[in-house]
Formats: sequence, structure tokens, C-alpha cells
Amino acid sequence: MLQQLTNLSDKELISRARKLKDQEAEGVLMERYSHLMVAVCLPYLNNGPATSPEEIYPSLLQRLSDSLKTQTIPKANEWIHYTIRVLQTHADKNSPFFPSTESRDQQQIEAKIEKAATNQKEQQQLIATIGRTLDKLPADEKYLLKEFYMHNKSFAELAEAKNISIGKIRQTLQQAKQKMASLLMNETYE
Amino acid sequence: MSNLENNEKILKIFSNIRCLNRDQLPRYVDGRLTDVEKHLVEQHLVDCDLCFDALQVLQQQQYREKYQPLSASMLQYIRSSIKQVSHAHKAERYQRQEQKKESFLIYFWVVAAIAAGAGLIYLIQQQEKFKAPVTKAMASNTEIPAPAMNASAVQAAVVTPVRAETADTLRHHPAPPAAATTAPVAPPAATPAPAVPKPVVKDSVKAKVPAAAPVNKDSAKKQAPPATKPAEVKEAVKAPAPEHKDTPTIAKKTEDKPEPKPVPKEKKDDDDDKPKPKPATESAPSGTDEFLYKAAMVYHQQGDLNEAISRYKHLSGSSGKYGELSRYQLAVCYRSKGQTGKARRMFKEVVRMNGSMKDKAQAALDNL
Repeated sequence: MLQQLTNLSDKELISRARKLKDQEAEGVLMERYSHLMVAVCLPYLNNGPATSPEEIYPSLLQRLSDSLKTQTIPKANEWIHYTIRVLQTHADKNSPFFPSTESRDQQQIEAKIEKAATNQKEQQQLIATIGRTLDKLPADEKYLLKEFYMHNKSFAELAEAKNISIGKIRQTLQQAKQKMASLLMNETYE
Repeated sequence: MSNLENNEKILKIFSNIRCLNRDQLPRYVDGRLTDVEKHLVEQHLVDCDLCFDALQVLQQQQYREKYQPLSASMLQYIRSSIKQVSHAHKAERYQRQEQKKESFLIYFWVVAAIAAGAGLIYLIQQQEKFKAPVTKAMASNTEIPAPAMNASAVQAAVVTPVRAETADTLRHHPAPPAAATTAPVAPPAATPAPAVPKPVVKDSVKAKVPAAAPVNKDSAKKQAPPATKPAEVKEAVKAPAPEHKDTPTIAKKTEDKPEPKPVPKEKKDDDDDKPKPKPATESAPSGTDEFLYKAAMVYHQQGDLNEAISRYKHLSGSSGKYGELSRYQLAVCYRSKGQTGKARRMFKEVVRMNGSMKDKAQAALDNL
């Protein structure tokens, strides 16, 4: 049973956990992201009251488990990241997780591309559209995107070439991507 | 060509890549990933804050040391909780299945019981339907004999007390005042009279053989039933005592055998005091005459001829039917006593009276 569940996608696991109240699926989902949770939470361990690993991880898991049943989760990693942030800032008020508009746009574009994977014509249309959108971006962002995605440059190489930190490179790329996504979405609406 | 490739690579911008797995995370930090893999991870890192944060943390040596044991224990914790849950889940599921089975069994048995009950009721109803006509038929069958039985019982009841004591008959019949003489009074049926006498006579004739013994009431009774129908039996039974008391006289008459007729007639009279009194009562000239006549008859039948004669004489003075009858009986008495002269004279008187007994008297006269 566990083996079968590990092969399922996040979305399927979440729906199983929610609809069938399958706690095994929930467990598998948590297991999938447990190492990331551990890593992200490390700086906040033993920082204050109730921050021992024996307390913070179970409470995080409980929180996730609770919100899993009530919230819409398009991307598990974003949801987990948000939950950890809430926990770390000690925001006791139960502010629910909502994916940002950029994230939603991005997700929709991703879904479109996935859908067009088997349809050459659609794919060509999408490529053309994305190319056009890419041209609309500032030169800096356009350059980074092209170097990163087309020429398979790593963060380190880009950072070295631009002489900025890897974090900054990543952030710029992320913003450029989000911009593209929103542009693409607006284009389709027009 | 390169343009086409570039175009296809453009799609990578929006390709959805999974988070770093347990294995990739430390390897990326250590720089032990292949270029392709590293590029894929970095593509994902552009979007995924969680993975980037994790990498940022892990790149610091102090956390790196803590990461491995904590990650392992976290995994263990989740797995153990899943196991417990899954065990609980399985147990619950098993319990549910068992409950379902049980409830199914219960439903099955309930349904089976209901079906059996319904079947039973149906069968019973069917049986009742079948039985109803049968039982009715049975009932009718039983009913039919029942009245017969009752009738016979009634007959027996009627007959036996009569045998036992004449007093009983009194109760049944519209009461002649004196109990002693009731026997002749009692008989209810006027109609059987004509048919009855002959067999009765036979009886009495038969009875003549043992007649020497005047005790033969019983024997007469015994003879009576086989000889006659129940109605006759009654009569015979009611009459017996007088009849057979009478037998001596008849026996005496048999000496004069030439005339059997008067005997039957006489018998008839004796027996038919039933019919006779009836008309008398109907006409009802004198209740006392009838009563006296019957009393005389009793004496006559008991063989007390003298007393009977004196009573008949007393009656003969009276006018009407009983006068005639008593004269006739007087003649019979005289004849029985062997005083044929007196008997003849009385018969002649009867003939002269030109009443209902005229023919009989004439016949008796002829036979004398």
C-alpha cells in the first residue's frame, strides 16, 4: 500500500487524504517533504520556548495535517513553505494558505504546456507566444532567462558572469518568470 | 535547427519539476550532481522557496550536521505514525467488514424468519381453507347422526320411563286427574290406533301362551318391541299391564275360540281406549263418565271382572257413548265369566242402542 502511494503525485495524495480520509496518503505526502521541512526548520530549533525538535516537528506536522483537510493546495511545496513560515513567526492566528496570483498564473501556464505536449500545433503556438512574451521583458531578465534555460547555465556560472550572488540570480529569474506568466495570462485574456 | 531547439527550450521555463528528494538535497549541497541533474534542480529552485531555503540552511555547516539524524528521526516518526494509523485503519476496516457480515447475517436471518413465518401463516391459512369444507362436511355428518341419536335417546327416554312407571306418562300428557288409571289415558297418538292393534293383538295372543302366569308384563314387553315399531312399542308398553292382565280373560275367551274377532275387537277396544277416549274428550259430554269407564277398564284388564262389571253397570245407566261402551264391555265381561245369557242380552242392548259399537256387538252376538 505504501509503495503504491509513493508513486502517486502530490495532488493525488492530497485528494486521497481529503476525500478518503486516507491517513496513509497524508503520511506519504509528509514523508516526501520531511527532509525539506527538517532542513528549513533547522535555524529555528532551540531558539526559544517550545522549539526543540521533539516539539516543533510534530506540531508542524499536526498543523499541516489540519490545514490539509480544509485548504486548497495547488502546490504542496508552497503550502508547506507557507505553513513553516507561519509557525516560525509564531503567528497563532489561523491565516489560511492562499497561493499568490503569480503562482497561479505560473501554474496555469505550466498546465497549458503539459497539455500541449502531445499536440505539435499547439506546442508551436505556445512556443511562439512565449517567445513574444520573452521579448517584452527587460533585457537583463531576458538575458538571464535565455542563459539559464536555453544555454543550461548554472546559478553559479550566472552569478559569476553577472558578479552577483546566487540568491540574487535566482530571485531575478523567479521574478522574470512570474512576469512572463502574468504577461502570458493577460495575453490569453485579451 | 538551433532556433528550433531554442524554441523548444523556451518551454522549459514553465516546466513543472518536483522538489528535491531526500537524496538530491545533500548531493546538490555537496555538488555531487550531474550537470543535467543540477540544471533540473536549479530550474526547480527558481520557483520553489522551500527547496531553496532548505539548501541555504544546509549549506551552513552547523545545520548540516544536525540535518541527517533529525531527518532520519523525522522519517521514522512519520512512518511510525502512519503504521499505527494504518494498523488502526486496517483494524477498523476489518471490524467494519465483520460488522457488515454480522449485520448481513442478521438481516438474512430476520428475512428468513419473516419468510418462514409468512410461509407458515400461508400454509395454515391454506390448510384452514381446505379444512373448512371438510370440517363442515364432518360437522354435518356428525350433526346428522347426532339428532338421530338424540331422537333415539329421546325415544328411549320416552319409552323407558313408561315401562318403569306409568306415572311418567302422566306428566307428558294432559293430565287425567287420577294417577292410578293413567295408563290407558296417556297415549298421545290417535292415529297409530288402526295400524297398531293387529300386531298388538298378535302379541297378546302370543302372550296368551304364558298367559297363565299373570306376571308376564315383562315378557310382553320383551315381545312387544321386536314385533312393532317404536310407536307401537310405546303403545304396547303403555298398554301392557292392562292388556296382559286382560289376557286371562282372553284366555278364557279362547275357550270359546270360535270367535277370534271379538277378541281383537275387544283388544282394540282395550287398546283403543286411546282413540275412544279422545273423541270422548273432544265431544266432552262427561269427563267423569270417561274416567269411570277407564277405571272400570283397568279393573277389567286386571282381571277383576266383578268389580269391572259393577262399575260398567254403574256406567251403563248413563246416556251417550260411554253408556254404550260400558254395556258392550259388560257384555264382554259376562261372556268372559261364561254368563253367555247375560252377555247376549247386553250385546243385544248394545245393538239396539244402534251406536258405534253396534256392528261389533252384532258380530259378538253372532259368535256367541
